[in-house]
Amino acid sequence: MHFVNQSHNYDHPWSHVVIGMWHKYPNPKCTHVVSIDVLDRSVDPKTGIIRTERVLGCKQKAPTWIVKLFGGSEDAFVREISFIDHRTQVATITSENLSLSQFATCLEQIRYSPSSTPGRTVFSQTAEIQARMALWRSAADGLEKWMAQRFEQNAQLGKMAFTDVLRRLWEERERMQVAA
Amino acid sequence: MAQSLASECTPLKKEYDSCFNAWFEGYLEPAVSASSSPEKYSKYSQRKAEEFQQKCGSVWKEYKACVQKALKEKGLDAMLQQSREENPLSRPPPLPPSSNSSS
Repeated sequence: MHFVNQSHNYDHPWSHVVIGMWHKYPNPKCTHVVSIDVLDRSVDPKTGIIRTERVLGCKQKAPTWIVKLFGGSEDAFVREISFIDHRTQVATITSENLSLSQFATCLEQIRYSPSSTPGRTVFSQTAEIQARMALWRSAADGLEKWMAQRFEQNAQLGKMAFTDVLRRLWEERERMQVAA
Repeated sequence: MAQSLASECTPLKKEYDSCFNAWFEGYLEPAVSASSSPEKYSKYSQRKAEEFQQKCGSVWKEYKACVQKALKEKGLDAMLQQSREENPLSRPPPLPPSSNSSS
């Protein structure tokens, strides 16, 4: 498991940052994000919290060994859920990969909240990257089982094959001796 | 504004995004004063939620239908379903222990 943890201050008030959130892409510095779609959005009539579910399409060249091993393609998709709570001035954004998620997960969490310095906003980011060990293990178990079965089958066939060879060889010799 | 994952949905997506952005900026501005009392804030939230539905509800319906179809065609609907089941995220996540805004 890998962890990433960092924070940063933006010289803009919180409201400007959360408005800016929706204008981040397309961005010449992040050309890997090629599409964004809103899949769901709700405004809680009691709390005023806005929840948004989006899917981001990314073009990312994966190393060839990853493509060969996992069959990944250049197109990768990320699901993102954000909550904007205007009353408490907290925005949280959680994202996780949809592509290759059967092998590994990357869960990222971002938070924007006002800094103690007026007019500034604190950004904090954490990410957990984890290979699905359970899956690796079950795949490895399956492979072991398959190899053991193949081994047993082949060993059985080998025994039968050699039995045939021995029998043919010595029966032949015996016959020749009798004839002589 | 970014493209939709399906080019045929991009015009609807842009229309919807513009509608939301305009509403959102309006929602943030006067709410600062509305945050004074909880009742007042709740009333404000309800009014704004209704306003959002009124303003952007119809384009949202069209855009959603377009993108749902595209998700199915690209085989993303099953992946999304699995992700939603594993991680519904229907409420804001608890604060991570490391990120108290001390700076």
